Amino acid sequence: MFFHITLERNMQLHPRHFGPHLREKLVAKLMKDVEGTCSGRHGFVVAITNVEDIGKGLIREGTGFVTFPVKYQCVAFRPFKGEILEAVVTMVNKMGFFAEAGPVQIFVSNHLIPDDMEFQSGDMPNYTTSDGSVKIQKDSEVRLKIIGTRVDATEIFCIGTIKDDFLGVINDPGAAS
Amino acid sequence: MSLEPFNRLVRLAARAFYDDITMKGDNQPKAGRGDNRGMAVVVLDALTRRQWVREEDLAKALKLHSKQLRRTLRFFEEEKLVTRDHRKETAKCAKVFSAAVAATGDGQKILKEGEEKTKLHTHSYCCLDYAQVHDVVRYRLHRMKKKLKDELDSRNTIQEYTCPNCGKRYSAFDALQLVSLTDDYFHCENCNGELVAESDKLAAEEMGDGDDNARRRRREKLKDMLQKMEEQLKPLTLQLARVKDLPVPEFGSLQAWEARANAAARASGDSSAVDSTKSSQGQGYGGTPMPFLGETRVEVALSGVEVKEEDTESDTKATAVKVLPPWMIKQGMNLTKEQYGEVMPVTKMDESSAPIDDKKSKDLKEDEKSRQDEYLKAYYEALVKRQKEQEDALKKMQQESETSRASKSDFSNGDSEVHAERQVGMKAKREDDENDDVEWEESPPAGNTGGTYKLADLNVEANASSDDEDDIDWEEG
Ligand SMILES: [Zn+2]
Repeated sequence: MFFHITLERNMQLHPRHFGPHLREKLVAKLMKDVEGTCSGRHGFVVAITNVEDIGKGLIREGTGFVTFPVKYQCVAFRPFKGEILEAVVTMVNKMGFFAEAGPVQIFVSNHLIPDDMEFQSGDMPNYTTSDGSVKIQKDSEVRLKIIGTRVDATEIFCIGTIKDDFLGVINDPGAAS
Repeated sequence: MSLEPFNRLVRLAARAFYDDITMKGDNQPKAGRGDNRGMAVVVLDALTRRQWVREEDLAKALKLHSKQLRRTLRFFEEEKLVTRDHRKETAKCAKVFSAAVAATGDGQKILKEGEEKTKLHTHSYCCLDYAQVHDVVRYRLHRMKKKLKDELDSRNTIQEYTCPNCGKRYSAFDALQLVSLTDDYFHCENCNGELVAESDKLAAEEMGDGDDNARRRRREKLKDMLQKMEEQLKPLTLQLARVKDLPVPEFGSLQAWEARANAAARASGDSSAVDSTKSSQGQGYGGTPMPFLGETRVEVALSGVEVKEEDTESDTKATAVKVLPPWMIKQGMNLTKEQYGEVMPVTKMDESSAPIDDKKSKDLKEDEKSRQDEYLKAYYEALVKRQKEQEDALKKMQQESETSRASKSDFSNGDSEVHAERQVGMKAKREDDENDDVEWEESPPAGNTGGTYKLADLNVEANASSDDEDDIDWEEG
C-alpha cells in the first residue's frame, strides 16, 4: 500500500557545499540518501514530493560538518498481509517462484501455487497447467496475495499465494512471443 | 410474503449457533443453577412469534428475570439478530404500544388497567431484524467454511522446510538466502543439504514421526469437521436457499410499526378490545374480528399458476369512492376482470367485490356468483392443501423445539395454535364476504397450522388500513 507521509531526517552537509546553493545541495543529497531505502516502520521510500522545512544547522565539533534537521514529504510503499499485489516473476525453481513488486521481493512457494500447475524444468523453468494454457515463468506478470511479511529494519520480504480466486498470471510475455 | 420461512430460519440458526451459549452475569458464579444454556434459543423462538415487543412483557411471558433477558437480548443485538429500541415513556405511551400489540393479534395482553402510572419510564423494545439475520447467518456459514477449507488446503500458511541432514528448520521467509544457483532446490545454509518442504515430507512418508502424524491427524480432523459441519448445518443451508428469493419481512422502526398497527386497528373498528380469548375458542369464522387479519393477503396456488388474491373488504355503505393502492387493483383485476369492465371503474374495487349487499343488477350478481363459486371451490381446495403442508411443517418444527427445549414447547404450541385458529377465521371471513354458498365453510378448521404469521404482513396492512370499518357487519352475515 502506498502512503504519503511526512518524515524527518538529520542531514549532514560538508562545508564545501556551503554557499548560495546550500538548499539545493541539501535537497539533492536528501533524495540521494533517502529514496529507495527501506525502513521497517514506513516501508520503502519511493519518492520525495516536498521538502517542508529545513531547520537551523548545527556545526559538529571537530569535523566542520553541519547537521540540518529536514522535514520532508514522501511517498512510501509498504506491503501488508492480505494485500493483493501485481508483481513480475524474477526466478522460478522447484520450490516455487520469486517475484518483485517494485522494491518488494515476494516468494510464492509451490504449495501456494494451484495444484493443477506443475513445475517444468529446463532452460526456462516454469509452472504450467496440464493443458498448457497458463504458464508462469521468468518475466510473467502475476497477481498475488500477500500472506506474510517479514519486516526487518532495512528489509521487507513477503510470502505470497496465487492459490485463490482471481489470482495468477495476468500477462505472460512468453505466451505472446 | 409469509414470515414462516424466515421464522424457521431464525429457529434453525438459534439451535445451530446459540444452543449452548451461556448468558453469564458478571457477578454470577457459574454454578449449576446459573447454567442457562438454551435460554438463547427460547428467547429467539419467542421473538419469532412476536413483532416489536416490550422487553418487560417478553420477560414476563417467558418467566425470565428481566435482567437476564436483557443480557440475552444485548447479546443478540451484538450478534445483529435483534434490533432494540429504547424510549422514555409515560403510561399513555405504553398503552399505545399495548394497543399495537393487541392489534397485531399477539395475544399478549399483559398491560392491565391497574398498572397505569404517570411516571416517566425508560422502556426497551426488541424485534427480530430478519434482513440482517439472513445476512448474518449466511456470513457466519461462509466464514466457518472458509476457515476450515483454508486450513485444509494449507492456504495462507507459510511453508516450512527442514534439512534432512542437520535437522535445521527454515521458513519460506528465508527463501532468498536458500536459493541455489546450481539447481532448483533450496539448500541448507549449514551443510548445503537439500531442504525438504514439510508437507512434501508428510506426503512422501506416511509412516512419519510423531510430528508428521500430528499434522496428518489434524488434517483428518479438519476434513471431518468440515464434513460434519456441512451435514449438520444442512437444514440451515436449505432454509437459506429457500428464503433467498423471498421478500424479507420488515417491521420498520418501533414508532412506524406502532403507528401502522394502531392505524390498522382503528380502521377495522375496534382497538385493543381484541384479544386472543375469543379466537382461541375455536370460533373459526365469523366470530372474531381481527383488525389485522381482516386485510391479510392470502396466496393461493391454482393449477401451478400462483394466483394471489386479496382478502377483499366489502363496503356495504359504498358511498365514497376510495382510491385503492395499486397492489390491490392489480390483484383484484386478476380475480374478476370482466366485472370491472361492465360495472365499475377499476379503482372502485371495494364496491365491485361486494356486490351482493349493493344495489346491483340481479343477473350480474348471478353471473358473478357462479364464477366466484367456481373460483372459491378451487381456492378452497388449494387452501386445504396448503394448510396440510403447513401442518406438516409445523409438526416438524414442533418436534425440533420439543426435543431441544421440552419445558418451553407447550408454551410455543399454545401460542401458535392461537394464531392458527385466528387464521382460519380470517380465511373463512373472506368466504363470508362473498356471502353465498356456504358448503365449504363446513370444512374443519385446521388446528395446527400455526406459525404462519399472516398478520405480520404489515407492509400490506399499512396501505389497506384506510379501508372500511365494517368487518363485523359482513362477518355476521
Ligand atoms: Zn543442513
